[in-house]
Amino acid sequence: MTARRRDILLSLGFAALLALVPLVFSTRYIISQITVFFIWGLVVTQWNLVLGVAGIFSLAQMALFAIGAYGTAMLAYYVGLPLLAAMPVAALVTVAASLLIGFACLRLKGAYVALLTLAIAQVIYLIVVNDTACFTNPPSGCLPLFGGVRGFSRFGDLGFRELLGSKFYIGHYYVGLALLLAAQVFCIVLIRGPLGLAFRALRDNPGYAMSRGVGKLRYQLWVFGLSAFFTGLAGAFYAANFGVVGPIVFSVSMLLFLLAMIVVGGMGTVWGPLLGAALLMAADEGLREVGTFREIGLGLVLAVFVILLPRGIAGLARKTEAGGPASRAGTGRKQVADSSDAI
Amino acid sequence: MSLLEIQGLEAGYGAQAVLRDLSLEIVEGSFAALVGPNGHGKSTALRTVSGLVRARAGLIRLAGERIDRLRPDQIVAAGIVHVPQGDMLFPEMTVLENLRLGAYLPQAATHAANRLEEVFALLPKLAERKHQVASTLSGGERRMVGIGRGLMAGGRILMLDEPSLGLAPIVIDQIYDIVQRLAASGRTILVVEENAMRIAEMADRMHLMDNGRIAWSGPGSEFLSRPEILSAYLGG
Amino acid sequence: MEIFVQVLASGLTLGAMYAVSTIGLALVYGALNMLNMAQGALLAFGGYVCFYVMQQLGLPAPVGVLAAMVVGAALGLTIYLMVARPMLASPAFETQIFIATIGIGSVLQSVILQLFGPQPKAQPMTLPGGVSLGGVVVPWQNILILAVAAAMLAGVAWLLGRTRAGLAIRATAQSREAAQLMGIRIGRVYAQVLALSGALAALSGIMVSSLSGLLPTMGADPMLKAFVICVVAGLGNVPGAAIAALLLGILEAVIQYIFGVQYAFAILLALVIGVLIWRPYGLFGKRQVVRL
Repeated sequence: MTARRRDILLSLGFAALLALVPLVFSTRYIISQITVFFIWGLVVTQWNLVLGVAGIFSLAQMALFAIGAYGTAMLAYYVGLPLLAAMPVAALVTVAASLLIGFACLRLKGAYVALLTLAIAQVIYLIVVNDTACFTNPPSGCLPLFGGVRGFSRFGDLGFRELLGSKFYIGHYYVGLALLLAAQVFCIVLIRGPLGLAFRALRDNPGYAMSRGVGKLRYQLWVFGLSAFFTGLAGAFYAANFGVVGPIVFSVSMLLFLLAMIVVGGMGTVWGPLLGAALLMAADEGLREVGTFREIGLGLVLAVFVILLPRGIAGLARKTEAGGPASRAGTGRKQVADSSDAI
Repeated sequence: MSLLEIQGLEAGYGAQAVLRDLSLEIVEGSFAALVGPNGHGKSTALRTVSGLVRARAGLIRLAGERIDRLRPDQIVAAGIVHVPQGDMLFPEMTVLENLRLGAYLPQAATHAANRLEEVFALLPKLAERKHQVASTLSGGERRMVGIGRGLMAGGRILMLDEPSLGLAPIVIDQIYDIVQRLAASGRTILVVEENAMRIAEMADRMHLMDNGRIAWSGPGSEFLSRPEILSAYLGG
Repeated sequence: MEIFVQVLASGLTLGAMYAVSTIGLALVYGALNMLNMAQGALLAFGGYVCFYVMQQLGLPAPVGVLAAMVVGAALGLTIYLMVARPMLASPAFETQIFIATIGIGSVLQSVILQLFGPQPKAQPMTLPGGVSLGGVVVPWQNILILAVAAAMLAGVAWLLGRTRAGLAIRATAQSREAAQLMGIRIGRVYAQVLALSGALAALSGIMVSSLSGLLPTMGADPMLKAFVICVVAGLGNVPGAAIAALLLGILEAVIQYIFGVQYAFAILLALVIGVLIWRPYGLFGKRQVVRL
């Protein structure tokens, strides 16, 4: 069985198990928390593609997420689109935004990309927060075009309240599960497919890959754009799930939390980001009591993992796997096996 | 007696081993050459001696003292001078600043004025160009700065990594003329060279490297008179 | 004329503050290829240490500034020893150190929050009054900032250009391996550079907070601007960074005057992106290893 097949089957298996959860535990808290996990899972799987696979040091992922969320809220609020229609449109807007950012940044070297994408995210945030001129005047008071500090609320829902009544959150749960499944399968296909191969070639031997016509910029734009679709969709679903969108999605601690998930789980691996998301969300839950030290803990986790375990927990598992009898090959071969495992 | 002594040296990059059980001795005052095809570890051997690459096994002694555990700066202080492949000048500094950096360590700095005169006497072109920025020099001039910078350090052994690399034939002649003059002055020299026949005419001793270890050692004259040595390892 | 003096004065003040923290970043990137994302927190730390020494301990201003710079240098050194040094040999160093310092920055910022609380505080290190220039009153505080920044830049230029330690720093930035072959102990160079950049960040933090007050998050904005300036100058280019900082400070003041404060950074950034599309290695950067 190929790795690709195995991973897709695993995804379906996990999804089937998760689909059973609401039948067993119907506590609203648990179901809602897992739904939040689906949202962050969507973001980190895509960010991982960009960061760990395509090697684009983008810090604009949360800005893209925000574009998806704000796009959905604004389309619903101003245009009156039903959320089900607003969500895919917002995701496409996110793709367009990502391509613009990509064209501006991707010709640059790694460190420059990180700084510019961070600055772009900051500018989007500043535009949202600093715009105080009233665009409309709903009963709740003055509302700037981008919602200002307060953000948007009351822009409709996915219709599960009518359908399921007080159990509407179970509807959200399944939508989130379906989106995450689609996103994860997309990641697997990409990582274990020709595009993933092209990136491995680019990373392991840039000169050779270039000479074989593997154009880095073009591939990077593809990955950046495609992953932006799911990132935007994650934002859109965030808006639908919570019914509120505000500037908190731009916060540094959110960025830190998600980045830590990828680093802890294992950057560039198929399952690492989801593993990291689950672990950090569980840890966050457990540390709720010591809330004031959350940031310190997160920062330390991030730093300590990068210093001591740069390939994350999934990287640890890979090491033991690679040491097993299955991958016993000549030294020349071993390198190839290693690098294909690394992704 | 042997000034530099390498025994059972192993080193490499990542999982890849480049040096496998390398052993070599360089006699004080001799002109030795390390030859062999590309990718067989000649440069890595020099880089391991100067500490840029960590040795995984084996030992390196300079005048009887072990240096394989030292930091690169300590190895320089011990007397190893390494003129790296491709010069590695400080591109935005002038020729003079580059040369001065060669005498960075305190023990070299005290002799800097005298040595600078010696370097300019040996390489008069550098005196003409001393205020020029290194990145604007020609290939041959850059090579001379690299060698001059090495001479500024003094040291006990001068290791030159492919001093002829990428130069026009007439410039190669000039560079090797300089190297031979240095050898004639009694300096211990170890040159890495691709062109084995050419260096064999000058070197006291040849060391042929094959796949990370020394395959054959002997006087340059013997190397020249026995073409089968070359074909056995390089003709392959 | 009055407007011109006003805009120029505020632009130069902004530029001077940016320059001090930007050259620190540029030095660190030049020597280690390290983007220190904890710089913003170091800035804030410096501001708060000065506040603590002057307000809480009641000591005079020079002691406060000195204490802040010493603490900044110590933090920079700690970041080198605990964070950067263990991963120096890694092939993905640039990415790893970036992420790790984001984490460290968050830790430091939270520590400030725990120690001093979230309320804004006034920086006691201020000079009252002003001087009349061409019909406009320029506050003494701005002039002090300019003077200190100018002295600091001159000091750094002297250090890099005229001292043995500076020579080693420049050599390491231009060719790490060649520097080692000259007998330079590059580990020590890295430590010095991070300590220096920490001290400069603290000083910059005092300047920034003397104008806009102390907040645990106060470092984020100046840090981002300092990075943008570094990018414009070409990462690691120290003299270029100083010039770009002054230029961008003045440009920001002009944009603020014409378009209003809230859009200044957005417009500045649009210009920067334009510059980078035109010259991908920065205004003063060359294609290759051009650093100090």
